[in-house]
Amino acid sequence: MDNSNVKRIIFDSLMGGYILLMLLAVIIRPTDVQMLDISSNMILFLGLCLFSGVMSSLLNKNKYKTLGEILFESAAHKSYGKSKVFYQTTWGWQLILFLFLTLAVGFTMTRFSFTELADKDSLQQVTRLFYGLLNPNWDILPKAIIKMIETIFLAFMATFLAIPIAFVLSFLCAKNIMKHPAAFALYTFLRTILNITRSVEAFLWAIIFSVWVGIGPFAGMLALMIHSVVSLAKQYSEIVETVNEGPIEGIQSTGAGQIQTIGYAIVPQVMLPFISFTIYRWDINIRMATIVGFVGGGGIGSMLQIFQGQGMWPELGAIIFVIAFVVWFMDTTSAYIREALK
Amino acid sequence: MNSCINILEIKDLVKTYPNGTQALKGVSFNVKEGEFLVIIGLSGSGKSTLLRCLNRLSDPTSGSVKYNGQEIAGKISTSNKKDVRKNIAMIFQQFNLIPRLTVLKNVLTGKLGSTSTWKSLLSFFTDKDISDAKKYLQLVGILEKAYMRSDQLSGGQQQRVAIARALMQEPEIILADEPVASLDPATCHVVMDYLKKVNQELGVTVIANLHFLSLVRKYATRVIALQNGEIVYEGDPNLINEQWFQKIYGTSAAEVHVN
Repeated sequence: MDNSNVKRIIFDSLMGGYILLMLLAVIIRPTDVQMLDISSNMILFLGLCLFSGVMSSLLNKNKYKTLGEILFESAAHKSYGKSKVFYQTTWGWQLILFLFLTLAVGFTMTRFSFTELADKDSLQQVTRLFYGLLNPNWDILPKAIIKMIETIFLAFMATFLAIPIAFVLSFLCAKNIMKHPAAFALYTFLRTILNITRSVEAFLWAIIFSVWVGIGPFAGMLALMIHSVVSLAKQYSEIVETVNEGPIEGIQSTGAGQIQTIGYAIVPQVMLPFISFTIYRWDINIRMATIVGFVGGGGIGSMLQIFQGQGMWPELGAIIFVIAFVVWFMDTTSAYIREALK
Repeated sequence: MNSCINILEIKDLVKTYPNGTQALKGVSFNVKEGEFLVIIGLSGSGKSTLLRCLNRLSDPTSGSVKYNGQEIAGKISTSNKKDVRKNIAMIFQQFNLIPRLTVLKNVLTGKLGSTSTWKSLLSFFTDKDISDAKKYLQLVGILEKAYMRSDQLSGGQQQRVAIARALMQEPEIILADEPVASLDPATCHVVMDYLKKVNQELGVTVIANLHFLSLVRKYATRVIALQNGEIVYEGDPNLINEQWFQKIYGTSAAEVHVN
């Protein structure tokens, strides 16, 4: 059995198992207790998968192409001859069932309800909220501006302190530099660490640091810095990996050492994209600083959280206005600067 | 000028790439000090690999390369490798300059091999280095472009900057890997004339890969023909006749003249 057949069977099994399980869920409408019985459900799911795998083999043997076959069949087997409308095909029905059942379950899962949306009390509340937001209390503007400045500096510091670390890491995480076996081991190690770190969101880091150094801008700055280091290191290293090899050989042929080669052949090639990505990161950090502030990271986010908790909508309106203005301004400015750097 | 001292002695040089391709299958020849040796052969005959094995941009699989009597083909230390590259400079088909740096800075990079790492990273080049760089730019006739960015120059001008960078290393040998293959015929001769000037006036030994026989006849003092990683001809460029030409380039080939 070749590779594409294995992929097809696995895909069709999981897909079929999922479709049948969702079908059961729609028909039976299980209770919470039934759903929480994970081990029984798992056995049920695996059984359905097994059944689907067998079905997939049988169907394909009888020339009914399943979705897995369409996706993974080897190029040599692809027949373009007779084209059918998708609802005349097996895989078409598979796809329709998949989308239909997912939507059906999805509506239940998200407790989708038009009555909630159109409920009289809810509408009254939300009108009050919008009325408040649209009639901002400008008395708190000075304080909001100060907090916004704090946020901008927080984002700036997080970006600035991340640059040197990310700069060094970017070369250690670039495949085209770390060719030597020992270097490649370090490359793999650092890449893994960075991938793990990056999968932890900035607001989670903010929670961690607010416990570590206390609630406030310092915690927010550290959280954004960690996030910036890993994001920048990834972006920088991808730029390093796409540099032109020619100048590298040109510099190597002069008898230059490894560090000289990086400094003279690679750095001049990557400098502008580095700066461009860094400005963009600052821009992103200002936006993220608001969320980080919400969970104890200081700046305008903390202020937002306080007023939101007390339902003080006019005050919230003023804060949202300040945030929106600064984000719009930074976004536009950084876009212009990045365009000019090209 | 053509002394009888062998500056390079290459014996049974073999290069096998990791994918199993045998680029060089035991090549042996000597290079005399001050000669203008040209290597010809079809694409894929091993010309580039041969040059790259000489300055250790590639590592030979086996065989021996003696530079001034010293073995440089086997396992050598990083600092020895740097010394080899410093003394055996190279110019490339694609020039391989640093696009964003000025012409002068590009030429100064020729001094990297003899400048300490931290000094070079802070761009501390001595006044002598700078006056040398200008001298070599003058030699290849583009001193007036010294403060332009190198990517604003034409191909022929960039290759002349590359020659100046190579001269900056004060090398004994210059390897030229198809130096004119991406240039138009007129510019071809300009660049080749400067290489000849370097060879004759400064006494630098030149080993060049070339495609056009008319250029070979005009510039080479001796020629080596490679075919499938083996030497099939070695001798006087003017003695390559129709028969030899077809042996090297295949029976269906016809000679193209570059004027």
